[in-house]
Amino acid sequence: MTSFIYGLLLYFFLMIPPVANLVESIMITHMHMQMPFLVIAGFLMGKLFQQRFPLFFKKWNSNGIPGITLFLIIIIYWTIPRTMDEALTVQSVEAFKFLSLPFLAGIPLRDSWSKLSSLGRNMVIVIFMIKYFGMGALYIWWPSQLCNNYLLIDQLTLGWGFITTALCLLFYFIYLFMIDPSDYE
Amino acid sequence: METVITSKEKVTVFNKANQVLGIHLEDARITKSYLLVAFIALLLGGFLGLLQGLNRAGVLELPVWLNYYQILTAHGLLLVVVLSAFFTIGYFYAGLSHTLGGLLPKVRKMAWIGFWMKMFGFVLVVIPILMNEASVMYTFYPPMAAHPMFYFGLVFIVLGVWILAAGAFVNVSHWRKNHKGQHLPILAFFATGVFVLLVGATAFVAVEVLFMIIPWSLGWVDTINVMVARTLFWAFGHTAVNIWYLTAVSAWYVIVPKIIGGTRFNDYLTRVVVIALVIMNITGGFHHQIIDPGISLPIKFMHVFMSLAIGFPSLMTAYAMFRVFERTGRRKGGKGALGWLKKLPWGDVRFLSPFIAMAAFAPAGAGGIVQSTNQLNQVVHNTMWIVGHFHLTLGMTVVMTFFGISYWLVPFVSKRVLTPQMNRIGVIQTIIWTMGMVIMATSMHIVGLLGSPRRTSYTTYGEHVAAQAWDPYMIMIGIGATFLLIAVIIQVYAIFNMMFFAPKGETEFPIAEVEAGEFPTPYLTERWGIWVITMLIVVAMAYVLPLTDMIVNAPPGSPPFKTW
Repeated sequence: MTSFIYGLLLYFFLMIPPVANLVESIMITHMHMQMPFLVIAGFLMGKLFQQRFPLFFKKWNSNGIPGITLFLIIIIYWTIPRTMDEALTVQSVEAFKFLSLPFLAGIPLRDSWSKLSSLGRNMVIVIFMIKYFGMGALYIWWPSQLCNNYLLIDQLTLGWGFITTALCLLFYFIYLFMIDPSDYE
Repeated sequence: METVITSKEKVTVFNKANQVLGIHLEDARITKSYLLVAFIALLLGGFLGLLQGLNRAGVLELPVWLNYYQILTAHGLLLVVVLSAFFTIGYFYAGLSHTLGGLLPKVRKMAWIGFWMKMFGFVLVVIPILMNEASVMYTFYPPMAAHPMFYFGLVFIVLGVWILAAGAFVNVSHWRKNHKGQHLPILAFFATGVFVLLVGATAFVAVEVLFMIIPWSLGWVDTINVMVARTLFWAFGHTAVNIWYLTAVSAWYVIVPKIIGGTRFNDYLTRVVVIALVIMNITGGFHHQIIDPGISLPIKFMHVFMSLAIGFPSLMTAYAMFRVFERTGRRKGGKGALGWLKKLPWGDVRFLSPFIAMAAFAPAGAGGIVQSTNQLNQVVHNTMWIVGHFHLTLGMTVVMTFFGISYWLVPFVSKRVLTPQMNRIGVIQTIIWTMGMVIMATSMHIVGLLGSPRRTSYTTYGEHVAAQAWDPYMIMIGIGATFLLIAVIIQVYAIFNMMFFAPKGETEFPIAEVEAGEFPTPYLTERWGIWVITMLIVVAMAYVLPLTDMIVNAPPGSPPFKTW
């Protein structure tokens, strides 16, 4: 229950208009701060849903793959430039963002992560790493504006945000392969 | 018939020997060397500090061959870089040796290579300062440009730090391989955090110096992006200061409880504090740039959160310390709301000095929060207030803890004892230092609010009435600096006495035990790989946006200037 309350508080905090306006006014904080925080809010709230509806999760997400697939679809959808534009200009899309990221990405992530094998988890990390390098290259080298609502400098910044995040994932991957936990634990 | 001793058994045997016989002589020599350099730097830096204090008080005119800015640069480098870094490394290497069953032979070699690399780098830094070719102050902000030798010296100092960090990691990794599933001893855990931060912090300054300043100072490129250089510097500078603070915090959590006869605070929360400080530290650098132009207000606003986030583990520490004090005092029979305070060993310099250091962190931390606030920072930024602030944080919180440590660490590594006479001298030294620093730092804060600028030698601004109002405080600064130099001389005397002349004997390395029946710490705290990656992600979150803006929207850049 505690984690649900923290998740709910974070969710409400992100909804407060000045907070939403501030983070949405900068492209990189829109995509790399608000959106991950919405997923985290859902992740925190997820435990209560798992406890209340265990049969639902068991029936629809027994091995974690449907859940992680839904998570990937939602996250990939929200990295498309046009979706960010629409979230800023179309109210219903903004509402969809606030519903989809916590409830269709955060909660499935929580339910799926522990059910996935280490191969499955590593595959998710690799997918994100490749995708982030690709998105980074797109946002850095594309010569014109991809979003109507953000300037080219915003786009470039977001591109470098993708590249640095992908590098962190790469370092994590190198760490996973270089270090054998059984040497230490 | 051969007796087979597995490597694990060897380590256990060595661990026991280490506990009984004290530190290995070769490990002791490493720590003694680092401490000697640290305290010689204190003597020189303290003397230069007095010269500055007297100059600002208007009672000492400096000769043309040794100007105020030369002294200011040397004072900063000697105390902020040499004293702090050498003490930290000497202390943690002794801690690693003691808690991990001795340093590995290759780690000893690395410690010596690091030592001489740092010394060589330091000589390269000092020569241009003495020649008045590098009066750029310890922050070496472009567009002020020093002689290239100054920057090459910095490169060697950083390389030395990296070798020492690698040595610490090798020793920790070796211990963990031989103690599978066990938690790293708490002091070694602090050391790991400190060396991770040292590598993270110096990486930024290495980029600044190697790729920006050196080509510019050698004339290979005409201009430098000042904002980027300042940003990279403060990612390093802020973290460096916090590394010294984390070193002091390690003694508060691990050493002080043992000295007062108690147990340490919850092991899990202690490790959480270390991890939190490691993850969130580097990004705090931005609050040193609040009045820098070229960083947009929303970014500054968001960085207030990053800066104040560091305050959270500090508040946890404040709670933890007083919890330990109260628990120990009450167990010793202290009654009532504050009766436990009487049961603490106030006459023991090993407690008194770190306690005053902790107490000083209350106003110092509050001042830090003030300075993280945009509007308040604009009032105090270029004034003596800031100088007062870092004399409270470094000069009291950190250095007084280091002094307290020295009264058991130096006898420990020298296989000598702390005599009651030396303890009394230590208490007197602590009182004089406290008086000096309180007088000086308070005066600096007040005169800063009255508008007195920092980084400026004595001037009356043409007998301006506003500048004359600063005079009484400036005289107090001179008086405080005089007290401080007296305390420095006593401290350095104590170090040499305890290292070479005190009676021989065994001194304990005081490490407090955990409270009996404490809930076991989850193993997650030991997964340093995850914490380092998290730190990198936080750094990326904080720096990508402003740095991209500073590089893409860069002004034409600045040629080098020699303003002195």
